[in-house]
Amino acid sequence: METFLYITAVYGVYLGIGVFVIGMAWRTYQWATTPKSPVRLGMFPKPKTGAARVLKMLKDTLIAPQSARIEPLMWAFAFAFHVAALGAFVGHGRLIHEFTPLVNWLGEDGMATFAAWSGGTAGILMLAAVVFWIARRTFGPFKQLSVPEDYLLLALLFGVIIMGDHMRFVGTIHAATYREWFQSLLVFKPEIPDDILRSTTGWSLGAHMLFTDLFLIYFPFSKLVHAIGAFSANLVRSE
Amino acid sequence: MSEEMKADLDLDLKGLLCPMPMVKVSQNIASVPVGGTIRAVATDPGSMADIPAWAKSTGNEVISAEKVDGEFVFMVKRLK
Amino acid sequence: METQQMTTLAGVLDKKMNRQLKQYLDICARCAICKDACHQYVATQDFKYLPARRAELIRQIYKKYFTKTGEFVPALYEARDPDENLLDELYESAYACTGCRRCMYYCPFSIDTAWILSVAKAILIAAGKGNEMLGQLADAALFKSDNFEMFKDVIVDGFKDIELQVKELTGDPDAEIPVDKQGADILYVALAGAHSILPAAVIFHEAKASWTLSYFEAANYGYFFGDAVKARQIADRFMDEAKRLGVKEVVITECGHAYRVAEIFHEAWSGEKHSFKVRHILEVIDEYITDGRITVRPDAITEPVTYHDPCQVGRNGGIFEQPRNIVCALASDFRDMTPNREQQWCCGGGGGLVAISEMDEFRLKSGTIKAEQIKATGARIIASPCENCRLQMEGLNDSMELGIEVKAIMDLVLEAMPLAGSSAKVTPTD
Repeated sequence: METFLYITAVYGVYLGIGVFVIGMAWRTYQWATTPKSPVRLGMFPKPKTGAARVLKMLKDTLIAPQSARIEPLMWAFAFAFHVAALGAFVGHGRLIHEFTPLVNWLGEDGMATFAAWSGGTAGILMLAAVVFWIARRTFGPFKQLSVPEDYLLLALLFGVIIMGDHMRFVGTIHAATYREWFQSLLVFKPEIPDDILRSTTGWSLGAHMLFTDLFLIYFPFSKLVHAIGAFSANLVRSE
Repeated sequence: MSEEMKADLDLDLKGLLCPMPMVKVSQNIASVPVGGTIRAVATDPGSMADIPAWAKSTGNEVISAEKVDGEFVFMVKRLK
Repeated sequence: METQQMTTLAGVLDKKMNRQLKQYLDICARCAICKDACHQYVATQDFKYLPARRAELIRQIYKKYFTKTGEFVPALYEARDPDENLLDELYESAYACTGCRRCMYYCPFSIDTAWILSVAKAILIAAGKGNEMLGQLADAALFKSDNFEMFKDVIVDGFKDIELQVKELTGDPDAEIPVDKQGADILYVALAGAHSILPAAVIFHEAKASWTLSYFEAANYGYFFGDAVKARQIADRFMDEAKRLGVKEVVITECGHAYRVAEIFHEAWSGEKHSFKVRHILEVIDEYITDGRITVRPDAITEPVTYHDPCQVGRNGGIFEQPRNIVCALASDFRDMTPNREQQWCCGGGGGLVAISEMDEFRLKSGTIKAEQIKATGARIIASPCENCRLQMEGLNDSMELGIEVKAIMDLVLEAMPLAGSSAKVTPTD
């Protein structure tokens, strides 16, 4: 297990984050240095001021009200997924530093309960959305339109989430232990705590990280670059 | 209209608004043989410029274009 | 097909590349939310009309030729060469699109599928597979301006015929259709058809406007064909005229794509700022009514009237309220369709489709939704300021027996204006 964990939860993490950051920067650089079309591609009605344009862009990107109107169910799952993913991302911040003010307010036990509920909800919502997306892509025009990339990304996400959920719902290791491991990565003195190595949950962590690493590595080369591109594309809508 | 020439195809384009008369002639030209003719009658004055311009640019020939009683009568010959 | 030729075709994509296009090709999640936005897909349930699919064909070439991952693992993206099969699919998907951009409205990333398809058309043209009819119509328009002396007299004669009708309608023997008038305020760009000249001439006369009529028609088949150079040259014909005459504004007739080309595209294409404004004729008429320069009888039309927003005038052109103001000023029973304005359904007649006879059956089928919308209003008259929309809706009227009259807004205005002429009842299309 130790070797496996060193590959996925140590070197893989460095590689994943490295490829992700450089890849996304490179992709953004490519977009920024490709000349804009001189033709205005916006549609009407358009906001009149620059500030209103930015507000509309944020609304279109973060809430997508038009998409909600045309396919409410798809929108609901997509919206839930993105909010939950953001929540999960923020929650993982505990690996870097405990949310001390929150602990002071809720108390140790309160914090554990809160984390269990919020993390659990996010994990379930994300899993539900991914299952919905996989199901949606198995029939009709959605199936015809899908390419292997779509399934690969969903499979990676499914792996990340299911193993994360396993650690959350079944695993017995607490945040403090994971924090030890993650902080060791941050100071480039990687070490995997004995608690993890001795527990079967170690395998869950390894699998969770394996999927995460692959997901991060593939991210900049996939359609997921919409994480950045959606903002500028939606800004074009009102130019 | 003086000499009655029998066309391979008669097109009634009366009431059609430009550019539709030109479009209809263009759509139908393939249905006459090379060397064959279309006799088209339109009512939109714009066709007097449109149809000859179309013929020239596509390498066909307008044998005659006349205004008769407020109608525009064309004899168009397919050349290729 | 030779590898060399396929590389050349892929090179067209490279030449057309810009930031927006690159992002559209990179970010589409293939979520297919756009499927129910497209009237053609909804009416036919045919995969090739699904907006994301149409764009995907270009994306397949992009992935294969312009991304490393697509080059090494083409299977992951179903990346392909622009071979005969792909070009055939591209032809069906691209030339069927009316460019209404309703899919862009609903897309969470606002992907402009019509813009991607303009590149598809450029690739098809480079492969010698552009739509023949649209190409011919574009060439005919350019032939007219390149050999202008050959056509000038015929064109002016046509205007003189219409001028007689203007004199009759206005009851003013001095009424005229000015042509080539230096220093006029307005250059009015009509269609080749008299129906787009007569009502405007009467309205300008009654409003005592300083105007002049362009020799050239606004319609731009180069744009539908997908050849940006020809499209620009066709628009240049009247833009150069406007510059030469020193007009204050170019006013485009009731035509959708011509307005968008003139107002939105032309400056970008020519890389030059216009020294004049570009407006749609309905903006001008609305202003004339508001300012009292022309009067319309408020109860001139008592039958129920509805209004269809042409995509290129509304969602893509920004004119929503002026036509409604005009109709409400002269009709006592105006009923809007649902949905309307920026969410309006395309009628199915745009993109030059009315000129392509092979598409007639498909085109009318794709208008089913519009026909239902019209029926639901119970209107007897449908007004719309776009020639392609009107042709399509007349087709729908016949094929689905809607029992409606399809009119231009100018026709309604003419009917509602108290004119001194004896035969004021004559409608311009008779």
